[in-house]
Amino acid sequence: MRPAAILQRSLLLVALSVYTAFAAGPFVWAAMMSLRTTSEISRNHFALPSPAHWEKFPQAWFNSNYSVYFSNSLIIVVTAVVILTLIGSMAAHCFARYRFRLNRVLYFVIFSTLIFPPQITIISLFQILVQYGLYNSKLGLTMVYVAIQLPLTIYILESFFARIPSDLFDAARMDGFSDWEIFWRVSFPIALPAIATTVILNFILLWNEFLYAVVLITDEANRTLPLGIQRFMGDQLEDIGMIATGLMIAIVPVIVVYAFFSEKLIQGMTAGAVK
Amino acid sequence: MPHTSAPLDIEAGRLTNGVRPALPGFGWFRRRAAAPAPAGAGASTATIIAFLLPALTIYVAFTAYPAVRTLWNSFHKVLPRREEFVGLENYAALMQDDLFWRAVRNTIAWACASPLIEVSIALLLALALYAKVPGARFFRIAWFTPVLMSYIVVGILWVWIFNYDWGPVNVALRAVGLGGWARAWLGDPATALPSLIFVTSWMWVGFNMVVLLAALHSLPKEVIEAAELDNCGWGAKLVFVILPLVRATILNLIVLSFIGKMKIFDLVWITTKGGPLWSTETVSTYVYKRAFEWNTFDLGYPSTIAAVWFVIVLAAVLALTWAFGLRQKLEY
Repeated sequence: MRPAAILQRSLLLVALSVYTAFAAGPFVWAAMMSLRTTSEISRNHFALPSPAHWEKFPQAWFNSNYSVYFSNSLIIVVTAVVILTLIGSMAAHCFARYRFRLNRVLYFVIFSTLIFPPQITIISLFQILVQYGLYNSKLGLTMVYVAIQLPLTIYILESFFARIPSDLFDAARMDGFSDWEIFWRVSFPIALPAIATTVILNFILLWNEFLYAVVLITDEANRTLPLGIQRFMGDQLEDIGMIATGLMIAIVPVIVVYAFFSEKLIQGMTAGAVK
Repeated sequence: MPHTSAPLDIEAGRLTNGVRPALPGFGWFRRRAAAPAPAGAGASTATIIAFLLPALTIYVAFTAYPAVRTLWNSFHKVLPRREEFVGLENYAALMQDDLFWRAVRNTIAWACASPLIEVSIALLLALALYAKVPGARFFRIAWFTPVLMSYIVVGILWVWIFNYDWGPVNVALRAVGLGGWARAWLGDPATALPSLIFVTSWMWVGFNMVVLLAALHSLPKEVIEAAELDNCGWGAKLVFVILPLVRATILNLIVLSFIGKMKIFDLVWITTKGGPLWSTETVSTYVYKRAFEWNTFDLGYPSTIAAVWFVIVLAAVLALTWAFGLRQKLEY
């Protein structure tokens, strides 16, 4: 390479590194603060965590109720994702495979929900859940989570199912498979990559969900992580060190998944781009 | 060079693992609605119902019915124990509601500014990585991180970053002798909204970059090589070859970003709650306040806001889709 080209390349690299520091810096900073006590932080906001106060994590976990928030989030999100995967793929299979009147109409109606602003349902959802006795319960929020992610799940899966060659189904039918067996033993296994994408996408979006949770949950015992963090922030505004520890507890699962499945996760998120 | 191989192959309409992309593409409404019914076999009505019933039940109970009920509410005064029909009264009141229009202006400003900032920076970054920079894979993964975090986490981080006394922004300004510019960024009505717009851009640029990079990697090599043979410079190659080829992706991203910002709630709620002096009030936060914070106990009026906003969002998205689609036809 000519010297000019090398210079150009290095300048570009420097610029990109600066942007990287800008994009990732806030997390690094928060991670450092999560291992420091608030009094250490107020002496110097940008120092390295030495000594590292790992004990802050069990403290937040046990004393500040993060164990409850975390397990609530886990229960609600995992249940919602399992239900979504099952009923979403059944519906997608049906839309993609069977010819029936209303097929496109129903598909289009569900699909167009994607651009609805959440306000159009949220106020009535509050009323309805109160009526059904599901307000302020994990079950209620789980069902609502299934509903809000359903259109996207069906959209992603339908387009995948639609491209599975129909010869496969004819062969399966010839072998005497019932419709359910065709779905469960042919469609579903073939669609696993797409299903994995929707699982990851739904998990991340619901793990981070806040608006529906804040409207539908008020009970301390049912709070999800985002609500717990908000609550903790409201109570202990000055305790920056502890808040940072709480943030890390919420981030860690996402970071772990990202560390192992970064490509799959990026795929999932971009597949959810319709949101 | 090891790959940055794009997971998405957007132009060709599929992900490498076979999932159709994400970005439904402009004219998705028209196209999806007009798509032919599947070629698959007919099946007994019972089978079809069995497959659809669970999803449809949830959809009707938790999406369709609440949406219709919101419309119904919008013509009523809805108090905890009684409901009374008020006709268009709520709508008339809404027209006079300065706070609502303030929120609409803020939200629309946000929804218009964000896509332009996000997509243009993302395009620059994507082009840089496309130019075969070492470590491209690492950059791509690092830049994508912010979008994986919830707005709650992001909001708290940026409240600290914008802190008047010790936030990195003001610390940096003071360090370079621009202490006069230091301010409580989120506490000043003049800078609160721009600061939040900045935060959403920080969050979403990486996402847009990944999608654009995928589009760039899926460009036909022959076309670019042909341009190079014609002695086409970088600038010309960009303007006349690359940009026209990724235009559809860019327009998609603009609409997606637009829709996302029209819905924004969490970030505002955790950082400013719409303040100071309503300078960051968005329609979502205003609806929430009217429904659950102000002690009016009336769910009818916020429902009216939701209904009107729903129409505005729908109209804006359709208009954008139409405008972008139309231009496409004129050009080719």
